[in-house]
Amino acid sequence: MIKVQSSFESDLQKKIVNAFEIFDQDGTRTVDIREIGTIMRSLGCCLSEADLQDILVELEDEDSPGYVNLETFLPMMTKFLLDQRFHPASSNKLLQAFQMFDADKKGYLTQAELTHFLTQDGECFTQDEMEEMLSAAVDPQSGHINYKEYVSHLVSENL
Amino acid sequence: MGCAGSAIRYPNSRAVQKFETMSAIERTIKAALLIQRWYRRYRARLEIRRRCYWTIFQSIEYAGEQDQIRLYSFFTDLMTHIACDKSSFSNSIANSLRGRPRILAEIEEEERELWKETNPNLIPIESTYQGPHIHLPLTADQVTLLINSFRKRKLLHAHYVLTLLHEARKILQSKPNINVASTTLSRHITICGDLHGKLDDLLTIFYKNSLPASDNPYIFNGDFVDRGVQSVEVFLLLIACLLVWPDRVFLNRGNHEDFSVNIRYGFIKEIMYKYTRHATRIIQVTEDVYSWLPLATIIDNKVFVVHGGVTDRTDLKKISRMDRHQLITILQPPMIDGKMTCDQEEWDQVVGILWSDPRPQPGCHTNSIRGGGSFFGPDVTEAFLQRYQLERIIRSHECKPDGFEFTHGDRVLTIFSASNYYAEGTNKAAYVKLVGTNLVTQIVMYVSSSHTSNAEIQQRQGYVEQSALRELKQLIYASHLLLIEKFHMEDTEQSGKICIGRWCDIMKEVVGLQLPWRLLCPKIAKLDPLSGNVYYESIFQEYTIQNKLAEQNEPSLLETLYRSKDTLETIFRFIDTDGSGLISMQEFTDACQLLSKHLKTSMHQEEIQDLAKSIDINKDGFIDFNEFLEAFRLVDNDSPSRRSGNHVCGLFCQDER
Repeated sequence: MIKVQSSFESDLQKKIVNAFEIFDQDGTRTVDIREIGTIMRSLGCCLSEADLQDILVELEDEDSPGYVNLETFLPMMTKFLLDQRFHPASSNKLLQAFQMFDADKKGYLTQAELTHFLTQDGECFTQDEMEEMLSAAVDPQSGHINYKEYVSHLVSENL
Repeated sequence: MGCAGSAIRYPNSRAVQKFETMSAIERTIKAALLIQRWYRRYRARLEIRRRCYWTIFQSIEYAGEQDQIRLYSFFTDLMTHIACDKSSFSNSIANSLRGRPRILAEIEEEERELWKETNPNLIPIESTYQGPHIHLPLTADQVTLLINSFRKRKLLHAHYVLTLLHEARKILQSKPNINVASTTLSRHITICGDLHGKLDDLLTIFYKNSLPASDNPYIFNGDFVDRGVQSVEVFLLLIACLLVWPDRVFLNRGNHEDFSVNIRYGFIKEIMYKYTRHATRIIQVTEDVYSWLPLATIIDNKVFVVHGGVTDRTDLKKISRMDRHQLITILQPPMIDGKMTCDQEEWDQVVGILWSDPRPQPGCHTNSIRGGGSFFGPDVTEAFLQRYQLERIIRSHECKPDGFEFTHGDRVLTIFSASNYYAEGTNKAAYVKLVGTNLVTQIVMYVSSSHTSNAEIQQRQGYVEQSALRELKQLIYASHLLLIEKFHMEDTEQSGKICIGRWCDIMKEVVGLQLPWRLLCPKIAKLDPLSGNVYYESIFQEYTIQNKLAEQNEPSLLETLYRSKDTLETIFRFIDTDGSGLISMQEFTDACQLLSKHLKTSMHQEEIQDLAKSIDINKDGFIDFNEFLEAFRLVDNDSPSRRSGNHVCGLFCQDER
């Protein structure tokens, strides 16, 4: 059966294969299952940990547990991207989320405030994640998080 | 802090809250989730970039090892076929591949010779010597003295170096092939991985974890030398520790405790530079010390500590019975007069444990990336541990971003103790402490330079990327002519552009590295914004081979030699047995001929001679090849002021003696 692919789709697939290959050290077309989250997110998906867990159950290679095959991953990932599943919320929504924490409308959040919300609510950040986030988010002068600036940093396409 | 917080913070008081606050809780959680998802996406994008650059460093590293192994197997072929050729050149190759005699009388003779030629008393200590003085028996205080002197960049006198090395030989000779370490008295033991001449890292370990002592045993798991600029100091310090605490300091041999590897990766050059006319003696004894280093250590009959790993053939009985001293080099089986002098299988056993890497895939395969040793899967690990009733393997040999990594269901721990190994900011280092009767794993991570440790993750990343791209671009430049030829074949319309897919294929094929070329493309080449095609000439713009050489010589010959300059250097160092740095015109052309045979490319005799003449500046018929290699560098076209060569950062740039 011949399946005609749009160039858009084949381009997508190349991107997926590229990202996958970075984690496939020896060219065996498999990667450690723990890397899948990074691969999917690096391809633009805004996944929750819960979403990820569901996907991993489906993807895990039955013959070698703990690993995922490119053959299984590629069609699933292509579909996600084509369907725009896990498409990130707009930067505006992201900004609103920060504003939600800033009840006093100060325009900034203190380190304690942000740490409190992100390590105790939702899919809590580990201490490492929190520290790493703060290391980039905190304005060195004020010691606070100017979240408006930080949002543009997070959503910027050119890291 | 904020007043909203108090209402939201305690979900257990939910029952009394009104609908509005309920939805506020939900809204907070939703907001948190949104930010967390976005952040994790952002983090993943950074991570993939980090991995991408990591691949560059790693690929270049392993390609180099593969090259060196290929060169040695070429030498072996050469020796088996032309064993009768007695030119000085083939002598030095034969010498590097030699094994030790097996007959007792000859062994004793060799011992006497070694002592006669390298007796420390041959080298008097000048009254002007400013470095540290040591005396036997060595004590802990003297180790501290050495540390303090090395910190101040003082050099230990060649007389003392030989003294330490000879003492170390005596102690190492009494050790079994597989060391046995026990924690019964000390209750813990510390294991350090590759140090690679990074004195700061060793000193950081000693600072954090104290010097070795009767209640503070250490295992140093090989690769003490090469790459770092203070390999001499690291090696001497470890030897000194061994002398003071012979039963509490265990040294395992690594794949870099091998002069055939040192010849390419810097230790030989460092010794020559630091000890000039005494270098040959020091090299001679060090080589002997290497071949007396034990090959592995077993802790409490539970943990197998070895530099590389295991294979499906690893047989501890065979390893513990063999004559490890036979193996001067491990790159090729030892030979005398074109014949192997040791059991091929014994050699294979040692290659297996010193060169192998664990892999997630089951089975045992040839290590195609390094060109030596095997890849071993979790099943191989499991079978090995079962066979010898051991619990885990601790190994080193591979640089890891955090300095350590668990694999094979935590049965294999990689530990790597050289921070910033590839470049500033690339990796943390770690050592591991096994504590208590159950040998509980405690990993300590560190970075010994403060330069980048506090930098924000993205800045650090930027720094690392610059170094990686610089290395990569130089490597690409080395294949300039070959690439251009391919590009032109592809670009039939001579538009100067080709599509990115073909560009990736050509890069992979010609440069010979498995890299995420598509992702790297925008970083190293200019793209046509409309079509997305690659302007292929743009990847060469930053560099050229030094003008002086380029003006007078055939470009394709220059490029071939430049591309193989590490191999060429290895060949040069063979010829230069007296360490003078001078080789004759004849030897130079011989070396190039040999290289062309190895590379299976033709080089014209005349062109080689022209090149030789163009670099023999004083016209005395000898070539200073250190100078030659120095001239053989790429020039950064962007910054003429840096032409003095500091951007390429030779081995000793940072070394202020």
